Amino acid sequence: MAIFILKRVGLALITLWILSVIVFLAAQVLPGDPARAILGPLAAPSAVHALDHQLGTDQPLLTQYWHWISNFVHGNMGKSYSYQTAVAPLVIKALGHSLELAAVVFVVVVPLGILGGVWAALAAGKPRDRIISVVGLSSTVVPELVSGIILILVFGIALNVLPISATWPPGASLPTQLYHLILPAIPLVLILFGYIEQMARAGTIEALNSDYARTAILKGLPRRTVIRRHILRNSLLPTITVVATQVGYLIGGLVVVETLFRYQGIGSLIVNAANAKDFPMLEAGILVIGIVFMVATLVADILYSLLNPRIRYQAAE
Amino acid sequence: MDRNDHRKLDQLRAGRSELENHYVDELLAGRLDRRQFLRKGAVIGMSSTLMGAVLAACGGANNSSSASSTSSAAASGTPKPGGTLRLAQQAPATAINPLTIDDAGGLNMLAQTGEFLVFDNNLLLKLQPMLATSWTPSAGGAVWTFKLRPGVKFHNGQAMTAKDVVYTFKQLSDPKLASNALSTFTSVLSPDGVVMVDPMTVAFHLEAPNGNFPYLVSSDNYNAIIVPDGTDFSKWQSTFVGTGPFTLKSYTQNVGASFLANPAYWGGKPYLDGSTYTFYTSQPPQILALQGGQVDAIVQFTAQGAQSLLNSSSYNIIKLKSAGHRELSMRNDQAPFTDPRVRQAVALAMGRPQMITALLLGAGQLGNDSPFGPRFPSTNTSVPQRVQDLTKAKQLLTAAGHPNGFSAPLVTEQYQEIPALAQVMKADLAQVGITANLKIESQASYYGKATYGNSDWLDSTMSLVDYGDRGVPNVYLEAPLTSNGPWNAARFKNTTYDNLVKQYVAAVDLSTQQQLAGKIETLLLAETPIVVPYFLDGLTATTQEVHGVNPTSISAIYLNKAYIS
Repeated sequence: MAIFILKRVGLALITLWILSVIVFLAAQVLPGDPARAILGPLAAPSAVHALDHQLGTDQPLLTQYWHWISNFVHGNMGKSYSYQTAVAPLVIKALGHSLELAAVVFVVVVPLGILGGVWAALAAGKPRDRIISVVGLSSTVVPELVSGIILILVFGIALNVLPISATWPPGASLPTQLYHLILPAIPLVLILFGYIEQMARAGTIEALNSDYARTAILKGLPRRTVIRRHILRNSLLPTITVVATQVGYLIGGLVVVETLFRYQGIGSLIVNAANAKDFPMLEAGILVIGIVFMVATLVADILYSLLNPRIRYQAAE
Repeated sequence: MDRNDHRKLDQLRAGRSELENHYVDELLAGRLDRRQFLRKGAVIGMSSTLMGAVLAACGGANNSSSASSTSSAAASGTPKPGGTLRLAQQAPATAINPLTIDDAGGLNMLAQTGEFLVFDNNLLLKLQPMLATSWTPSAGGAVWTFKLRPGVKFHNGQAMTAKDVVYTFKQLSDPKLASNALSTFTSVLSPDGVVMVDPMTVAFHLEAPNGNFPYLVSSDNYNAIIVPDGTDFSKWQSTFVGTGPFTLKSYTQNVGASFLANPAYWGGKPYLDGSTYTFYTSQPPQILALQGGQVDAIVQFTAQGAQSLLNSSSYNIIKLKSAGHRELSMRNDQAPFTDPRVRQAVALAMGRPQMITALLLGAGQLGNDSPFGPRFPSTNTSVPQRVQDLTKAKQLLTAAGHPNGFSAPLVTEQYQEIPALAQVMKADLAQVGITANLKIESQASYYGKATYGNSDWLDSTMSLVDYGDRGVPNVYLEAPLTSNGPWNAARFKNTTYDNLVKQYVAAVDLSTQQQLAGKIETLLLAETPIVVPYFLDGLTATTQEVHGVNPTSISAIYLNKAYIS
């Protein structure tokens, strides 16, 4: 197991390095330059040159990349071009916000999706199954923008019971923070519920039709025990994979929700950095998401192997 | 006017400069109405007391329009002290650095604690003294001398003197620095031209005469807040040190800012205890926040997507005439636009009132294919407005050898209502047989390096761009239209035009400016290098409990007289 994890971590580091090169090169292809992004399109060329020189963006690409990566491996994420302050606190704060929102969504949607999927599978083909599946799949295709605005109009303005801005007042307690995250979490729960429910349902149906399930039922085990001991464990396997792949989306892909509910997550941080060609911020943001994504996949793989002994044995051999 | 009034007026006129007396003559002759007299008088530094006395002496001689205060924004009733005003605004895109700020969100932060020599009051369309109490041009307008307000203190306790003003403007006009004000000061003012006359007087020796120079050191030139001598601009965002009615309490990137009333403010302590700004990256959440009662005001918004505010009577909407406009350029050096008749046909195809109704929900003013609009007193309104005329457009195209029209690319940017405007233009042009092939790009791709050969904005056959508000049309007249202008996307080269613009910029008195503006407007209508379909109004929204806010059309808001009822 230790070798398995070490191997994965080594691979992850190489992947992150390649990612940093790709981001750097892609940032060069983006139109415009950092100084002009700061000074605006109509700034005098002399002012743009002066600022590019000040930022070091007039140096050769290799020099710029070397300068950045040598600082980065020493734990210095550099200074944001746009904001002229250290990148690290901004990225860490945004990541904290994103993780908090993602955690709220996961805590709600994962049990809900699994329960829904299993419950639907137990009545496969019957009206209960149909209703859960159709509702789940329909909510998946409603864009966050649409559901978000409806939620704001209903709960934030008409009923005025929930705050429409996800940014809590400074120094707010955890319950207050969670209270502010209710509205932004709902559109995400709606989107993810369908996916997870469908995966759990398919896994359960497959497990229900398996030989060991039939054997367990035939040997007279109570239905509840069969589901808990034999079905659930097997039906969870594909669900974990789906959940792990959604972590990237939940951490870095929530630009619309973050904008609509005015939440300072890492998704909007990256989009702003890309627009402003704020390279240190962009690199830091994307690498942080990369790390989160890899950690999530690693955790998923470990969970998977714990639930599925076949994989565990293969890895150990 | 009776004899008594005449005597009073003669007394007032004695000892005034030639230019000041010229304006009084213009007023008496009816060539200036009261409002124009106030505006132009302010430019050349006549005090409001003097102008008030002149107007009183003139009595009913000329009251075609009065300097009315604008609707909801003017303070009504008795101001109530106390309270904190909560405002929503666009998040500043960059560091709050007075030297480099270019965006709407950032410039309003500068205006909260910083002040300018002169205030361009957009509600009254008139210059007012701020940190300068008076200003006078030399004959010809090449040297402008500003008297500073005594007794003004920076937030750090230091007294403001000419040294600080000289330092500020030397930095802003230094071509070796990353100064955003260079787009205004290049070939107008260089660091050597900023001279301290005495501790309370500063003179600006300009590179060429400029009749409207006070606008260039006013709140229109948002970078030009006066900072203490020796300030490190890149560190300004940690202190926000200025002379203004509010001092910094806290500033958090991307989140918000809060300010406290400055009890030592030279203009008297503001009514408000303070203000808090919440930053947003798009407009819909700002509107929802106002409707949900989470903020009391939106600093500036665009009409598109704001129907719910504009159609509701629950909010005060402050509309300002702005010089911000959209400009369609046609490459005068590329077929088929080498023929002025083709360019005129394009302009004649445009249904301008419909554009204002549909795209701006009425919050705009007609454009007449020149940068002169209702915001500028010098605009010559006797030049006829161009209206849609499809028959004439088709005739012109036929005469120019394009009876079946032609097709040409039209490149534009993803910004506010512009993509929709491009669609409307395409539909209008289709009615006269012209096929516009639209290409809508991100702003970064569209502007590119903003130099010839490296910019879709400047190089495209047809290019539709936005220009933000400015207090005087000088930059709009020069950069995009003069033969050696740096943003001449139309490649318009016309020596008569160049000379007219040079004369216009130098002209100090209004009647000369109007006369030259008339010639420029007529020439641009005949040549039509550009189409200016409309000017956008500046829009600010507050709840009905908010009074006395003073927004400007560059999206700054001044709260020193604001209060909550």
